[in-house]
Amino acid sequence: MDSYHTPQSIPRRSASSRPKEHCLGATPLQRRLESVRKQASRAPASPPRRVPQRRSQLREDVDPQKVAFLLHKQWTLYSLTPLYKFSYTNLKEYSKLLSAFIAAEKQKGLAVEVGADLNIRVSFSALRGVKGTHRDPDAVLVQILSKSPLPSESGEVKVLWTGWFCCVFGDSLLETVPEDFTCLPLFLASGAETSTALVGTWFQKTFDCSFSPLAINAFNLSWMAAMWTACQVDRYVATTEFLWSVPCSPQSLDISYAIHPEDAKALWDSVHRAPGEVTQEEVDLFMECLCSHFHRHFKIHLSATRLVRVSTSVASAHTDGKIKILCHKYLIGVLAYLTELAIFQIE
Amino acid sequence: MDETVAEFVKRTILKIPVAEMMTILQAWGFLSENQLQDINFRKRKESLVHDLVLLCEEKRARVSDAALLDIICGDIDLFDMKQFKSSFKKILQRALKNVSVTFRDAEENAVWIRIAWGTQYRKPNQYKPTYVVYYPQTPYAFISSSQLRSSIPLLGQALTIASKHHRIVKMDFRSRYLDSLKAIVFEQYNQTFETHNATTPLQERSLGLDINMDSRIIHENRIEKDRVQKITEEVFGDYPQPRLEFAQYKLETKFKSDLNRGILAERNEPLRCLVKFSSPNLLEALKSLAPAGIADAPLSPLLTCIPKKRMNYFKIKDK
Repeated sequence: MDSYHTPQSIPRRSASSRPKEHCLGATPLQRRLESVRKQASRAPASPPRRVPQRRSQLREDVDPQKVAFLLHKQWTLYSLTPLYKFSYTNLKEYSKLLSAFIAAEKQKGLAVEVGADLNIRVSFSALRGVKGTHRDPDAVLVQILSKSPLPSESGEVKVLWTGWFCCVFGDSLLETVPEDFTCLPLFLASGAETSTALVGTWFQKTFDCSFSPLAINAFNLSWMAAMWTACQVDRYVATTEFLWSVPCSPQSLDISYAIHPEDAKALWDSVHRAPGEVTQEEVDLFMECLCSHFHRHFKIHLSATRLVRVSTSVASAHTDGKIKILCHKYLIGVLAYLTELAIFQIE
Repeated sequence: MDETVAEFVKRTILKIPVAEMMTILQAWGFLSENQLQDINFRKRKESLVHDLVLLCEEKRARVSDAALLDIICGDIDLFDMKQFKSSFKKILQRALKNVSVTFRDAEENAVWIRIAWGTQYRKPNQYKPTYVVYYPQTPYAFISSSQLRSSIPLLGQALTIASKHHRIVKMDFRSRYLDSLKAIVFEQYNQTFETHNATTPLQERSLGLDINMDSRIIHENRIEKDRVQKITEEVFGDYPQPRLEFAQYKLETKFKSDLNRGILAERNEPLRCLVKFSSPNLLEALKSLAPAGIADAPLSPLLTCIPKKRMNYFKIKDK
């Protein structure tokens, strides 16, 4: 049933974090990540160092209304290897081919979907502006739509499934890939898993690529928490919250630790003394402060438990590879981090 | 009837205030309802008592019957279930024209009350009732979470007045398992086991565990493990914990860094945090933390006080 194969040979960071992982990066993998991080700016609040002149052009391109539907929705993340002979001029054709494929699969009885009797059509479109540099390929949006069979409601179209592919500041991958390949390493899906599987299968067959679920470990969750706490937001729409899962038996225990966003920001500002990019030491210290405040009250070592979810006014992320972006201003920044994680998983 | 018994009965009945006479005699149950109906309680007390003693004589009251009456009289805080129910119902009905109240007597002297709420103009909504479990011998009542917030003060008032208490206080203690709440509130969960385990020396038991599990544990570790085990058992006991699903702490405390880096040193305001622990069985999970090395032993009093304080919602501030 699961059509995504996890490449065994590619070194993957394990989804379950060991407590040491969010301390100073000692392994070669960590060090590599750090160097990549230092090349491109980590803090979305400061402009990316490599192509500062592009930033204003990006702002014009990204129509807030067009990307509004990407916000406030939970997306499941996957990494995707480069697509062979994918062309932006063939989007209409791809729509037809994928529609036909889905219909055929349904006939075989393989696709078990709610509302399987509805007419379904697929739409491929380019999402302009969702990219980091001009070298990044355009993001691609795929939607499975239903057409109501009743004539009275013929205008009504329901979106059954949405998936989009993007590449935000993906230079490290773009540089290594030959011409016939299109790099869209980050894939986000929302809707029935069976639909995701169908779309994935078709892509794999058509473009000779492979998908892998993108898990986010505690190390990266801590980075996200720190970076997003560092962001300037006009209005706090959500409290800053961490969720830890305690591996005790026989009963499981979940600890939710929420802190007022203003207080989280004050703590971060106190940690992040020097202006400029965010460093590993600062992220570690930020998390250490939160954990020690907790330990003072409850005598529990959060570092011995598993960080599972972080949530801020900018975005929230779950270790199972789920993301929800709440703030339009930092959409590109969040996608940049996720693109990096996806590229790391592919290589 | 023996003269001494007759005298005993007479003196016992004399002790009863006339206002409570009917209630007590009904509770006593020795005289039948019919007989009680025939009595004229408006007579002078002496005369009334005389009539009652005659009735008892006719029915051949024995010492044991008189003793029972004595016990019932001696209970000053006499709880009258009938009166409670009628009073409770009346209070609600006076306030809201439309309300339906049902009672069910349950084990351990508890009374289950079901209330369906209406308004002056609308019939009671039978699909959103509130349930109350009241233990008359105790000052505790358990109320199911009501979907109608406005009904809670009235419910509290009715309970307070009908049970002849002064006021009702909401405890910060919630759970989906009534039995667990009861176990903690009435301190019933450790009774069966207290004497059973007292004689088994702790040291012997934990050493046995070590030998079976891991022979590589060195001496120092073993001492520490024993210490942790001992403290955990002292706090939680050796019995299954009552089931609670969550505990919530609202913290407003200043940040104090032991890292000595002056973080938030200039800031006077506290950090506003909300911590929630959730588990299918919270107390069992907390019990396993120190032995697993995830928490220090002894565990924080904020966590261990849950059963003792009968609270699982806390607000913590700096002193």
